[in-house]
Amino acid sequence: MMRANGLYKTFNPGTPIENPALRGASLDIPQGQFVTVIGSNGAGKSTFLNAISGDLIVDQGTIEIAGRDVTRLNAWQRAGLVARVFQDPMAGTCEALSIEENLAIAWQRGEGRGLKGALNASLRSLFRDKLATLKLGLENRLSDRMGLLSGGQRQAVSLLMASLKPSQILLLDEHTAALDPKTAAFVLELTDQIVRENQLTAMMVTHSMRQALDHGDRTVMLHQGRVVLDVSGEERARMDVPDLLAMFERTRGEAIADDALLLG
Amino acid sequence: MSLIALLGATEIGLIFALVALGVLISFRILNFPDLTADGSFPLGGAVAATLIAGGHDPWLATLAGTSAGAVAGLITAWLNVRLNILQLLASILVMIALYSVNLRIMGAPNMPLIGADTVFSPFIARAPDSQYLIQPLVLAVIVVIAKLALDAFFASQSGLAMRATGANARMARAQGVATERMVLLGMAISNALIALAGALYVQTQGGADISMGIGTIVVGLAAVIIGETLIPGRTIMVATLAAVLGALVYRLFIALALNADFIGLQAQDLNLITALLVGFALVLPSLKRKFAAKRSAVTKGSTAHDAR
Repeated sequence: MMRANGLYKTFNPGTPIENPALRGASLDIPQGQFVTVIGSNGAGKSTFLNAISGDLIVDQGTIEIAGRDVTRLNAWQRAGLVARVFQDPMAGTCEALSIEENLAIAWQRGEGRGLKGALNASLRSLFRDKLATLKLGLENRLSDRMGLLSGGQRQAVSLLMASLKPSQILLLDEHTAALDPKTAAFVLELTDQIVRENQLTAMMVTHSMRQALDHGDRTVMLHQGRVVLDVSGEERARMDVPDLLAMFERTRGEAIADDALLLG
Repeated sequence: MSLIALLGATEIGLIFALVALGVLISFRILNFPDLTADGSFPLGGAVAATLIAGGHDPWLATLAGTSAGAVAGLITAWLNVRLNILQLLASILVMIALYSVNLRIMGAPNMPLIGADTVFSPFIARAPDSQYLIQPLVLAVIVVIAKLALDAFFASQSGLAMRATGANARMARAQGVATERMVLLGMAISNALIALAGALYVQTQGGADISMGIGTIVVGLAAVIIGETLIPGRTIMVATLAAVLGALVYRLFIALALNADFIGLQAQDLNLITALLVGFALVLPSLKRKFAAKRSAVTKGSTAHDAR
């Protein structure tokens, strides 16, 4: 369960390049729901996700995860509650470390790290089993460097790492944007499977309206730093991309009209 | 080159192997360009020499010198992670500050230890004729212990988290690694090792001198780079071994160059040789690649010819 309430974040305040990225964004995600987030460039999608992950601390508003106020906690302090997959396949894994070492780091997410050996036989066999579920043949390449893997393989391992330990919310940041269409489809399918099997609460930011409607249980649209559209259930099931596009156009028009009203 | 000169080169090589291990942690594992070494090496020496001259136990003095180095590393890391001072600049600040600190500690630009008890004294007392052999032996044991301890640490949960911090800090944070703490800890360990080298150095050289730290970082880096060229490898065990061997090879080459009378090099040419050696080690990998590419092109050409 995640509750973001009235988030504000302005970059470079008081300068000519001042950029109010979030302007009162609010979103409640109940336990077990998979929400997709769409929006045009500069709508505040990434900022919103980074605010929830703790990469950014918001100027105003509160963020609660599983009933805990995490507004002032930074990324590593929230890591026990938040799992995430980055857009850039390079960002979510360490290319200089081996596959098993990357998994071992994820295995300790949200827990203390001591002087105990990071890897042992039982962990390796667990990792091997988990990797086998990806059906990429990675279970035989535990000690290979992560840098040897393709972008799609790395995103698949990233997903595995994110689901290795329980989390209160899984954040997916356009995690298929850097992949070719076929690989993207594979990673998306894997995402659905992992979210379903682990009954995860998840939020996926995407550029693609198709993806936003095809995956998850609910779709919200961000525009100018606010949630302007929120569809789920029957209404969403009946929707197709043109419908969403029409709604998108309408909200944009209305949003501009709103601003014009406010300014006037 | 005489046997004594060879053992002398090995001795200094082993001391700088500790520096190389420290530099490996800061430059390679944490990705933190750290010049504190030029201050923490003489800091370890100054603290150890002062305590030994004051009649304290040499092992305790060595430990105190090592701890002082850890504190120096902590300060550099703190300036960077808390006050957001650029890594290089933070380390230069601490380095020049340590120059004054070291003068204060010793109370004079140098501190002789002639005749004082050192960590080597008990071993030398048993075999008074073989000091030249015993000092490198004791140092070798210390270096091996340091290497194995580092290997074990970097295979642990914390050590792995530290490696992730240097390789991809954003990923490390997302996995719940307190990256700032890791930088603090890693820099403390790095400079502790370098200060340990300084503390041992003054005990082999019969005293501390305020200028003994000049160029420490260059030598450490040279050792790491030469080691990586000699035995490339991605695992930590290989990297630490490479750093140790790099330091030994480096000192051996220096000794050879200085001892070869026909070249006509003298002690004052040391820094020039260092620069040449490091430069050579830096271009060697690309030369190797070029050579390999040429050779494979030649073999391919000949098979094509044979096919016809």
